[in-house]
Amino acid sequence: MFKEIFLFEIKYRFKRPATWAYFGILLVFGLFFSIGGNGPASEKVFVNSPTAIATMLSVISIFGIMLSSAIMGVPVYRDIEHKTENYYFSYPITEKGYLMGRFFGSMFVLLLVSLGLHAGLIIGFQIGPYAGFVEPERFTDFNLWWYLQPTLALYWTNFFFAGCIFFTLVSMTKKVMLAYAGGAILFITYLVTNTLTQDIEAKDLVSLLDPFGLGTFNNVTRYWTPEEQNTLTVPFDGMIIWNRLLWVGLGVILFLYTLFRFDFQRFLNKNFGKIKKKKEAKQSHSNAALIKIPSVTKHFSSALNIKLLFSLAFLEFKNIIRDNFFKAILAAGVAFLFFDAWFGFPNYGTPSLPLTYYMLEVKDFTYVILIFILIVFMTGEVLHRERGVRYDQIFGSMPLPNRIVYGSKFLALALVAFVLVNLVLVSGVFNQIIKGYYNFEFGKYFTDLYLIEYPRYIIFIMMAFFVHSIVSKKFMGHVIAIAIWIFLFGLNNFAEINNNLYLYGYSAGYTLSDMNGFGHFGKSLFWFRFYWLTCGAFLTFIGYLFWKRGTDSGRKARFQIAKRRFRGATLVSIITALILWIGSGFYINYNTKTLNYYANSDAGTMNAVEYEKTLSKYAKIHQPKIIDVKVNADLLPKERSATITTNFIMVNKSDQPIDSLHLNWGGKSSFKKKMDKFLIDNQKPVLEKEFEKFGYQIYKLPKTMQPNDTVSMVLTVSRYFEGFPNEGSGSQIVYNGTFLNNGYFPSFGYDSAGEVSSDQDRKKHNLPIKDYSLPEQNDEWGTSNLLFNNDADYITFEGTVSTDLDQIAIMPGILQKEWEENGRKYYHYKMTGELDFFYNISSARYDVLREVWTGENGEKVNIEIFHHPTHKYNLDKFVKGVKHSLDYFSKNYSPYQYKQMRIIEFPRYSTFAQSFPNTVPYAESFGWVGDFSDPEDLDYVYMVTSHEVAHQWWGHQITPSATRGSNQISESMAEYSSLMVMKKEYGIDAMQDFLKRELDSYLRGRANEGKFEKTLLDNDSQQYVWYRKGGLILYGLQDLIGEDTLNSGFKKFMEDAKFRQKAPFATSTEWYSYMKSVTPDSLQYYLEDSFEKITIYNNKVKNATYKKISDTEYEVTLEVESAKNYFGGNGKLLETGEKPNVIEIAVFDRDTKNEMGMTTKVPLFLEKRWIKPGISTFTFTTDKIPVKAGIDPYNKLIDRIPDDNLKIVELEE
Amino acid sequence: MELQISNLNKTYSNGVQALKDVSLTIPQGMFGLLGPNGAGKSSLMRTLATLQEADSGSITLGDIDILKNKSKVREILGYLPQEFGVYPKITSYDMLNHIAKLKGISNKGERKDLVESLLNKTNLWHVRNKSLGTYSGGMKQRFGIAQALIGDPRLIIVDEPTAGLDPAERVRFHNLLSEIGENTIVILSTHIVEDISNLCQNMAIICLGEVVAQGNPNDLTKNVVGKIWTKAIEKSELDTYQNEMQVISTHLKAGQTIIHVLSDEKPHSSFKKGAANLEDVYFAEITTRMETVSA
Repeated sequence: MFKEIFLFEIKYRFKRPATWAYFGILLVFGLFFSIGGNGPASEKVFVNSPTAIATMLSVISIFGIMLSSAIMGVPVYRDIEHKTENYYFSYPITEKGYLMGRFFGSMFVLLLVSLGLHAGLIIGFQIGPYAGFVEPERFTDFNLWWYLQPTLALYWTNFFFAGCIFFTLVSMTKKVMLAYAGGAILFITYLVTNTLTQDIEAKDLVSLLDPFGLGTFNNVTRYWTPEEQNTLTVPFDGMIIWNRLLWVGLGVILFLYTLFRFDFQRFLNKNFGKIKKKKEAKQSHSNAALIKIPSVTKHFSSALNIKLLFSLAFLEFKNIIRDNFFKAILAAGVAFLFFDAWFGFPNYGTPSLPLTYYMLEVKDFTYVILIFILIVFMTGEVLHRERGVRYDQIFGSMPLPNRIVYGSKFLALALVAFVLVNLVLVSGVFNQIIKGYYNFEFGKYFTDLYLIEYPRYIIFIMMAFFVHSIVSKKFMGHVIAIAIWIFLFGLNNFAEINNNLYLYGYSAGYTLSDMNGFGHFGKSLFWFRFYWLTCGAFLTFIGYLFWKRGTDSGRKARFQIAKRRFRGATLVSIITALILWIGSGFYINYNTKTLNYYANSDAGTMNAVEYEKTLSKYAKIHQPKIIDVKVNADLLPKERSATITTNFIMVNKSDQPIDSLHLNWGGKSSFKKKMDKFLIDNQKPVLEKEFEKFGYQIYKLPKTMQPNDTVSMVLTVSRYFEGFPNEGSGSQIVYNGTFLNNGYFPSFGYDSAGEVSSDQDRKKHNLPIKDYSLPEQNDEWGTSNLLFNNDADYITFEGTVSTDLDQIAIMPGILQKEWEENGRKYYHYKMTGELDFFYNISSARYDVLREVWTGENGEKVNIEIFHHPTHKYNLDKFVKGVKHSLDYFSKNYSPYQYKQMRIIEFPRYSTFAQSFPNTVPYAESFGWVGDFSDPEDLDYVYMVTSHEVAHQWWGHQITPSATRGSNQISESMAEYSSLMVMKKEYGIDAMQDFLKRELDSYLRGRANEGKFEKTLLDNDSQQYVWYRKGGLILYGLQDLIGEDTLNSGFKKFMEDAKFRQKAPFATSTEWYSYMKSVTPDSLQYYLEDSFEKITIYNNKVKNATYKKISDTEYEVTLEVESAKNYFGGNGKLLETGEKPNVIEIAVFDRDTKNEMGMTTKVPLFLEKRWIKPGISTFTFTTDKIPVKAGIDPYNKLIDRIPDDNLKIVELEE
Repeated sequence: MELQISNLNKTYSNGVQALKDVSLTIPQGMFGLLGPNGAGKSSLMRTLATLQEADSGSITLGDIDILKNKSKVREILGYLPQEFGVYPKITSYDMLNHIAKLKGISNKGERKDLVESLLNKTNLWHVRNKSLGTYSGGMKQRFGIAQALIGDPRLIIVDEPTAGLDPAERVRFHNLLSEIGENTIVILSTHIVEDISNLCQNMAIICLGEVVAQGNPNDLTKNVVGKIWTKAIEKSELDTYQNEMQVISTHLKAGQTIIHVLSDEKPHSSFKKGAANLEDVYFAEITTRMETVSA
């Protein structure tokens, strides 16, 4: 019996077109990922590497929820839908046979259908090498196990688990809608566990709870280097087994429950599970025959139609909001809005204040996905409402014009969408109230939600409406509508098609800022919304033509109807929408492509390749160096333009004569430029050659410059914006919060930073592989130029800047004078001493906080914080950070070189802080609005401020040379310096949290490396090396040889290298030599391991026990395992360290809180020991009951798994 | 007003030709459509109810072209489909009121009177405040009838309206229909011959998409008067008779099989002359045709 039902199920399914459609969709996805190389593999990883295959399989299996619900939700429901249950259940079949047959039959089909993806991938990877999207070298040979293993471990288990849920839900409730709702809830559970991952400590929990095992998988593979990704399949052990057992087990339990609970009689009962009220109304025999049906008057008018339109819409609206599925998804959506806002926007794990823009931005996190799904489903419901209850024939013959019915349905959804946008407001304000933040900015809420977001939802609705009108099968409509969306998302994210004109519903991004409000984004948003609304309207009208009213679903009949409807007002509407759509498209195209520069990433690469091929012959030519700069800048924030005149004095510092000046303006950009005036020694130079495409001009100097000759140059440049771009904030000059750097002027000569660096792209375009972007440490050109700007060494600076009356404009130097003139405000600045050629101009409506730092020798530095008037929350932290830094650095390195230190807020179009001489611009959302109320959270304002102040020494006093490795002198040293300042203030426990974060970033960074990992001595491009590894290693070094010892070396380095007037400028070799000189011979191995090699430890506690000897004496036995491995840049294991290393071992009491409220470890025993690789056992006594013990407990070494370094000490039996 | 159907054709996308050159003239009053399952009755009715397109042909109601001017037709149409559903969570009162609004009855008082009288007429008054989802099959059918009668329809199309009604309700409904049918076109489809002979002044028999007979039921019956012969036979003999003569119907009576044969002359002395009725007309028309198809 089971067999017959099972086989029938399979046969039935194979005849359904949907089965093949699902298979086909997966196949297409597979082909898309494989042929186009759109999978997750980074450059050094094969596109069909085992890890890439496993990632694709597990990610797609999450979207497979839809498939599971479609296939596993219906096998039992089918009997209800087709009303076969009444007789089918009367056959001599058992419940178990019936259920198992249906279940296994459908599961079999589901698993088979799911193989569409494999088919697509396997075929695609065979075609891939010949298709030309990805280099043939990036494909490796086919290996069946790489597909099989993750399919069994992740892919199928996910389908199985999800399938069980849907099968159970529908079998036990008879409601097929629950299959969809269940799908949504599952999806949401998934997203929740993903949100938890942000909290680094909860990793094990995430690994266990992730229903799809993707998090588990990621936690295992996240530090895998390209080499490992290319060779290893996901190890099926540890957390993965537990996770799979948990979820597959849950699936099995659900199925078993259904199997034993299911009962035909219960199932047949109409009010399934409900207690029926048995109260029949009395049948009154009325005098029906005698009653005359009263005659009535009927009115049919457009006024009545309008009335009906609204009343039908309102009825439909009520139907939607009463829908349980709608309520379930919406509840989830609102929960997401709330929790995303609640947990959202941390920096370094520290939350931000619940500002209005944060509350608004969460709408684009998870909420919008749910809204989209909701809109698709609800549109389907609405358009199928009558058909769903088979009321369509009666309704269809009502005297209602088509447009009223269709229109009312649309209106109902528009109404729903309005409710949906308002929920963002409700959730946001609620969040703010709970967090005690009462600055409600309803203007921002209304503008963003009603004018920007609401039209977007309408655009979504229009697409869904179109699809559901054309496709007369509801579920098929859902699948197609969602597939379109996923397809667009895929195009945008994987195929890197980013022209918003071609991606339905897309528009240029915008950022809401406290400083600059909605800024200049309005125009672009208006046009993109208008464009997609008219497109949507066009689609909606087309949908109207084909919208099914009545019973005829034949293609011929529907075309016949469409032809009939295609006239009159409909025809006019369609044509109008089409014209407006196309017209606005042209206008947008004119703005994004003609007025603004637009290139997709391929065109960008091509441009860079051409740039290199054409101009690299001018690399490293001798050009004069600037020694003095006098700026005269006029900013027009309202027009978003600036006119800047600069007088330069330049010297030929080379030993060759120079006869021409190469001005490199850079290629086309949305930030337009116009050269108004250009004089050298008061003469107009002759343009000898121009490469317009790259903005590269070669002028003949009026007189050849002999070595040490000096010339003056005057350059006036206007910079401005026009129209609006396809993407990009255009943040250089804005209404409030201008932030310009010296990049508004051309640089001299060829800049190799504009070259393509990816190996893959270079190979493709026949360029030699570029392993390094900078020359070696002893290269003559490299050592005679500075890293940040090779147009000058150190310069002197003076300037005047004017801006709007209500703004403050800032340039380097001390303010000499400020005045008003012609309704504008002028500021004159002059720099004392020298600075490297790296400065900025800022202007905004600022409030200023002024403080003074006094040094040990009585020297004074003015501290000025230029901030947005309402951002007063953390000013004290900035001040404290500056003061403590000045203390530490002037004592340990050298005196501070300037008389002032300024911190300047700029709008949140980017998130960073940057150090210019005596000035640190700091992004609006970075620190100014952080919420530091929890002492356990990292005080990143303090730390980052300290880092940036440290750059005044490491970067601006010693400015590194343009050689590889030299940026470590700037970044690693600034990172180290800030760690030291922070350690002094917050203690060693706060450090550990941060170091673990650094370690995580470093290990992730190297796992995603596209070339090869470089060492600290020659790294010239990898941030994870110079910040993360650099910080960790230097912190470890000071811990090993002593902070003062190490600083003495740095002090010496500072004395020798600061403001060096002549080449050779500082290199990593020089930097390294000072560290070597202060490190004892026995510990030199640490330097070699850390700076010259890539070394990773693997330390862990095997066992920790104690014996009580007396009340004040406990004997602890600690068994630890230590390993030290050396890796190549590509992640390949080179050799294993054999010699002993100095590693800390420790025993701890229970954690306590210190006076600042931070959790701190309490060591009972802490010692550095020489520990040999392998297993070692240590015994020592403590005076209290030991709680935890471990090796390298503060994570000072680079360790692949830092979490196994500590263990609870157990009492020995 | 008169409903004129001329040369109507319709083929579904699966290749089934549902209507073949159908031409009918339907005057005011009750009109019966008789035909076996799948004859095309519902197709024709759905086309009349503006729910379906025709491939060719025309339908006019007075001066309204039904195929082109659907909205005009809908204003005066009452339609009860063969199969229909209801919104389960709304009461019949509210639903009828809603439909009345949609049918253009904008005066609140009129609407109330109308809905109440219809609820009474269809004997749903006592359950007017119950949601439709709780209705039994018969109650639901009565609700269907009520909704079709809303708004003074000039053209009422009811597709198998008495299916699922008990005998008493059926009578009540017939009374209701004939009451309305006096100055309205009522098209009633059924396969119960008796209903038609009781109710309709005019009728048509449809078989395999074609109109095979039309006219007044009595006139049609007259055509077969004297041509119907009956005989009680053994069941095993049926085949023989079917081969030798035109057996139009068989039925059982007290365990014996009675056959009706259509013939101008007495086929055999053992046959008795049958009293011709509409059923014989119906079977006479369809049996031969159906056999050609099934043969």
